[in-house]
Amino acid sequence: MVRSICMRRSVRSGNRFLTGAALFRGLRTLVPILLTSVTASSAFADRLDEVRARGTLVWGGDEEGGGPYVYPDPANPRRLVGFEVELAEVIAAELGVRAEFHQADWNTLPNFLESGEIDVILNGYEWSPQRASLMLASRPYYIYELQLLVAKRNSQINSWEDLLPRPGAGQAKIGVMQGTAAVGYVRGRLGDAARIIEYDGNTNAMQQVSAGVDDATVQDLPIAVFYRNLPQGSGLRFVGEPVGRGYYVIFAKNGETRLIEAINGAIESAFRDGRLRRIYEKYGLWNPTQDGLLAARPEPRGDVVLRGWDAVAAYGPVLIEAAGTTLLLSFLAMPLAVLLGLLVALGRMYGPAVLRAPLSVYVEVLRGTPLMMQLLFIYFVLPELLKMVGIHGMNRLAAAVIGLGVNYSAYEAEIYRGALQAIPRGQMEAALALGMTRRKALRLVIVPQALRIALPAVTNDFIALFKDTSICSAIAVIELTKQYNILSNSTGARLELAAMTAGLYLAMSYPLSVMVRRLERQLGGEREK
Amino acid sequence: MICVERLFKRFGSMEVLRGASMSVAKGEVAALIGASGSGKSTFLRCLNGLEMFDAGSVEVSGEKLGGGVGGTAPTALSHLRRRVGMVFQQFNLFPHMSVLQNVMSGPLHVLGLSRGEAAARAEKLLARVGMADFVDRRPGMLSGGQQQRVAIARALANEPDVILFDEPTSALDPKMTGEVLSVMADLAADGQTMLVVSHAMEFVRRTAHRVHVFVQGEIVESGPPAQVFGEGAHALTRELLEH
Repeated sequence: MVRSICMRRSVRSGNRFLTGAALFRGLRTLVPILLTSVTASSAFADRLDEVRARGTLVWGGDEEGGGPYVYPDPANPRRLVGFEVELAEVIAAELGVRAEFHQADWNTLPNFLESGEIDVILNGYEWSPQRASLMLASRPYYIYELQLLVAKRNSQINSWEDLLPRPGAGQAKIGVMQGTAAVGYVRGRLGDAARIIEYDGNTNAMQQVSAGVDDATVQDLPIAVFYRNLPQGSGLRFVGEPVGRGYYVIFAKNGETRLIEAINGAIESAFRDGRLRRIYEKYGLWNPTQDGLLAARPEPRGDVVLRGWDAVAAYGPVLIEAAGTTLLLSFLAMPLAVLLGLLVALGRMYGPAVLRAPLSVYVEVLRGTPLMMQLLFIYFVLPELLKMVGIHGMNRLAAAVIGLGVNYSAYEAEIYRGALQAIPRGQMEAALALGMTRRKALRLVIVPQALRIALPAVTNDFIALFKDTSICSAIAVIELTKQYNILSNSTGARLELAAMTAGLYLAMSYPLSVMVRRLERQLGGEREK
Repeated sequence: MICVERLFKRFGSMEVLRGASMSVAKGEVAALIGASGSGKSTFLRCLNGLEMFDAGSVEVSGEKLGGGVGGTAPTALSHLRRRVGMVFQQFNLFPHMSVLQNVMSGPLHVLGLSRGEAAARAEKLLARVGMADFVDRRPGMLSGGQQQRVAIARALANEPDVILFDEPTSALDPKMTGEVLSVMADLAADGQTMLVVSHAMEFVRRTAHRVHVFVQGEIVESGPPAQVFGEGAHALTRELLEH
C-alpha cells in the first residue's frame, strides 16, 4: 500500500526538479564557464571577433520586466518592442551584425553573461560599484531617475517625508524590484524606518500598490512614465520630484575591452546623429537630462569583493536567517496541508454524495496547476478580487503559507484516501457493532490506523514541501533560495553562497530523511508481526 | 428477546433471504447452520443493522428495526447496538490499540464509563476468557484463538442482552477452535443469550438449545439438536449434514 502511494508521488517529481533547478541556477553556469573560456580563446581573439564571425550580437534581457525596455507588442505578442530593442538594433548595425534577443530572468542575467550564452546585458542594468567590479560596463546609454509612486486614493503620502513612521501608523511598506538601484536608494534614504519588499518584477510591485497591499513603490522614471499611460497604471499617482540619478549601462564580460569600446563608439555615434534621441522620444523617455549622456562616465572599476571565508562570515548569518523563514513556512504550511487533506479525503470517502464531486475537482485543480501559478494567484490576483468586497491587503507570509498548504492538501488528500481504502471493512463494522456512531468510528478507529499507513508518504511530502518553499520567492517572500539569489547577484561570491545554501538545505532536510527511513522500518516491522 | 418475521433481502438480482423467520428467548442459545451462501450470515447481520433488509420485521430487545430504504435512524441504531454484541469471523480487533484498550473501547467510548471503571470491567472480562496476561499486547502479536477470545471479551464489555457470533471459529485451526468454543460454552452455561452461525456441529449439538437450518434464504427446520440431528429431521437437513 505504502509503496503504491510513493509511486503516485513520483508524478510530482517534475515539480520538485524545477525547484532544484532554481537553487542551482548559479552552479549550473560553472561548467559552461570552463568550456567557453577554452573554446573561445582557441577560435577567436575575443568576443568582438566572435560576434562579427557569428553575425549576431546576442543581448540578454527579461521580457517580464516589461515596458518600455523590452516587452511583447500588445498588437502582436510574438514581436518584441521597447526602446532597448531598438537600441540593440542600432548598436548591432554599427558593429555590422544583427541583434538577437535572449530571454532570461532579470536577476540571473550576469550568470548567462558569465557562461557565454549572451554577449552583453542590455536591460536597464544600473551602473553600480558592485556590478562594475564583476563585469565590464559600457558608457551610459540612459540617465535614469527614481520616482515615488502611491495609490491614487492614498491621500496620506505626498512626499518622501510622509513615508517616515508617524504615531498611530505602522511602518510604511515600500515595494521595489529586487536587485535594482531603487533598493539601495530607499534603504539609504529611509533606513529601517520603512519596510522594503523586493519583487521579481516591476509590474508586480506597482500592482501591489494599486491593490492596497503595499503603501508605495519606487520605480525607475521610464517605467513610471510608461505605466502612467497604460490602464494598469491608472491607479497610481506620482509623488514628489524624481530622485537618485543614475546610469543604465551595457555590461560585457570582464576583459572584453574591444567589444565594450565598439559598443561605446556605437552609442556615441547614435547620440550624435540623433538616432538615440528619436528612439527615446518615441517612448516618451527623452528629457533634457539626457543631454549630459556623453559627458557622463561612471568609474569603470568598483570596490573589493569578499571571497572565501570572508564571504562565508559576512553572508552566512543572512542566509541562516532566511533558512529560518524556510523552516517557518514549512512548519506552518504542513499542518494546514495535513488537516485540509484529511478533511478532503474523509469528505470524498465518507461524506455526503453532494460533496464528492466538488472535492474531487478541488484535488484535480490543485494537482493539475503549478504551485507557482497558485501562489501568484493568491498574492496578486486575489487582492484585486477582495478589493471588490472591501478587503484590502494580503500578508505575504500568510499568502505563502496558504498557497503551500492548500496546494499540498491535494496530495495529502490522495495519500489519506489510499490509506483509508487500505483499512479493512471489518474495522468499521466492528466499531459500529460496538455502538459507535460513524463519526466516532472514524475518529477512534479508522483515521488513527490510516494515519499510521500514510505516515511515511506524508513525511516524504513534508520534505518535498520544505524544498518547494523556494517557489514562494515568486511572491517576494525572502526564504533561503531568494536570499541566495539576491546575495549572489549583488556580491559575486556565487560559489561560496551556493555551497552555503545547499549546505543549509541539506542540514535541514537530512534529519527528516533519516526520520522517514526509521518510521518506514518501524511500521514495516509492525505489520509483519 | 429476538423476533424476526418473514425477512427478505436481495443483493442485486440475487435473493439472499426469502422470508426467514425465527424467535429467540432470553437465555437461549440459538445455532444457525446451513451451507455457504444460504443466507445465515446475512440474516445475523440484519439483527444489528450491519445489513439493511428489504422487507419483513425485526425486533431486538424491544426495539424495532426498520427495513427498506432509509432503514433505521443512525442514533436509534447505535442505541440498539449497545445491547447487541457481535463477534466476527476475522476477529476485527483494532490493531492500533492494546488488548485492554480494545475491550475498554465500548464501555469508555460508547457507554460513557470512566476510564477506571472501563479498565476494571475489561480486566475482569479478559480474566474470564483467559487473556489476563495479555492486557498490554497488541492484537497483531496474538494467535487467532487468543484474538477471538479478546473479541468475545470486547463484545461482552457493553453487557449486551444478546451476542451474535458470525462463524467465530472458521478462521481458526482445530486447537484454537477448541479454546474459543470452550469460552463460548462457558458463556452459554452462564445463561448468556447467543445467536451462533457455525459449522462446528459437535459444539452446536452439545451447546445449542435450538438449531435453525438455512437453505437458500429460508429456514427449513427449527428445533432442538436432538430433533435436527436425529432420524426424524427434514430431508434437506439430512442432506446438509451428510456433506
